[in-house]
Amino acid sequence: MLDHGTTPLRYARGWHCLGLASSFADGKPHAVHGFGTKLVVWQDSQGKLNVLDGYCRHMGGDLTQGEVKGDHVACPFHDWRWGGDGKCKEIPYARRVPLRARTHRYETAVRNGQLLIWNDPEGSAADHDILPPELPGVAQQLGETSDTYTDWRWEVVPIEGSHCRELIDNVADMAHFYYVHFSFPTSFRNIFEGTRATQFMESKGRPDKSEGYGDAELFLKSEATYYGPAYMINWLEVDYKGFETEVILINCHIPTGPDSFTLMYGITVKKPEGIDDKTADYISKKYAEMFGGGFLQDVHIWQNKVPVQNPLLCEEDGPVYQLRRWYEQFYTDVADLKPEMTDRFEFEVDTTKANEYWQAEVAANLAKRESAEV
Amino acid sequence: MPSFVPTSPTTLEEQRLYTQARLVEVACLDCLAKVAVKKNSEHHTSIQWNAEAVEACPELGRREGASGSRDGHRGCPRLLASIDVAVREGQIPIGAEDGY
Ligand code: FES
Ligand SMILES: [Fe+2]
Repeated sequence: MLDHGTTPLRYARGWHCLGLASSFADGKPHAVHGFGTKLVVWQDSQGKLNVLDGYCRHMGGDLTQGEVKGDHVACPFHDWRWGGDGKCKEIPYARRVPLRARTHRYETAVRNGQLLIWNDPEGSAADHDILPPELPGVAQQLGETSDTYTDWRWEVVPIEGSHCRELIDNVADMAHFYYVHFSFPTSFRNIFEGTRATQFMESKGRPDKSEGYGDAELFLKSEATYYGPAYMINWLEVDYKGFETEVILINCHIPTGPDSFTLMYGITVKKPEGIDDKTADYISKKYAEMFGGGFLQDVHIWQNKVPVQNPLLCEEDGPVYQLRRWYEQFYTDVADLKPEMTDRFEFEVDTTKANEYWQAEVAANLAKRESAEV
Repeated sequence: MPSFVPTSPTTLEEQRLYTQARLVEVACLDCLAKVAVKKNSEHHTSIQWNAEAVEACPELGRREGASGSRDGHRGCPRLLASIDVAVREGQIPIGAEDGY
């Protein structure tokens, strides 16, 4: 029997990406849904991005509908002014500001041109050692540009009715790449260790399909690592019709409720030698469409499936149980962490039998199509 | 605080099967690392390390700092060679038991 289990009553500990840093840098307050509430994001006069609980600690006014006044965000209800450190800095109509006037603030970091915040239901200080790495050659801070990589193409997809663990399961799910994304994974490995989980995959497109990654002349070499619960960097060497491109895909999300999250993905392409910026940008657009289409194929599955605590696996499946054991660490109090959640684990899937079967199935599909065309 | 809570007791048994059953200890022939290995087929390998073993492996020790580079997540070729030897010597039974 399927065990649906119950979903956690908490949100993961770790760094979560809110989007491109540049999208918050216009001197206005911005709203981002996350962790069961709304957050307010704004840039102060020093250029620093700040993130607070979006609802005012005074009487619950919506700070995202307020204004930035000086370095502070001002509430539309009674004009209380909040600083990036979470303290109330000024109440224009009051003799003094109560010392206790503090609200929930999130520690921030800018990585690869994106704004990340630290979440921890236990309230620990942010752990900067486990931030995702800075990608060499990619613009890091606000205002920087890169000569070697195209600007990020950034997409935001709100997902209702699924817990974000469904997205994580993909890391260990070899066979869905054939059925959902239309590619043959010819080599598939995982390594989980500490706060990181990696998938190594080589795949080629299915010649009998044209959506998703389906294409006889598409070869992918992919290395994808989750740095913590919610931010994945996917390095892709794409070979399309003999033309090789280096693509970096960011796949990140922020939970918004017990069974909803906002999926975000970003694409940058290493500008190929001798190709002008416009063409490079066009290539990145094409890949953004392809990988974006891939995500939507997953979304359709998630929104129609049920959660399962006890998946029943065959020997061609990846290490779903070990992956979930790794993921569980982010929902566990630090004092209760178990070594096996973070101990190094390696797994290589044997894709031989699967590929034999899939090749035959694709050949049969092609033959059927041909005879129908005659 | 409850996390992903199974509602059926058999789920715990399944978790144990998939993560702990049929593991065989393999000692690295080049260092003091001991890991737990399972092989469902010739090409499949599952390797469970613990902190002590990672500490003992000079190959993994050479990796760069915590979150920095991508080398951080490569395997150790010497350990893989040691597993191959153990397989050849018949120390690791090959074959999946009902998929786990
Ligand atoms: S509720 Fe924000 S100032 Fe009163
Ligand atoms: Fe997928």
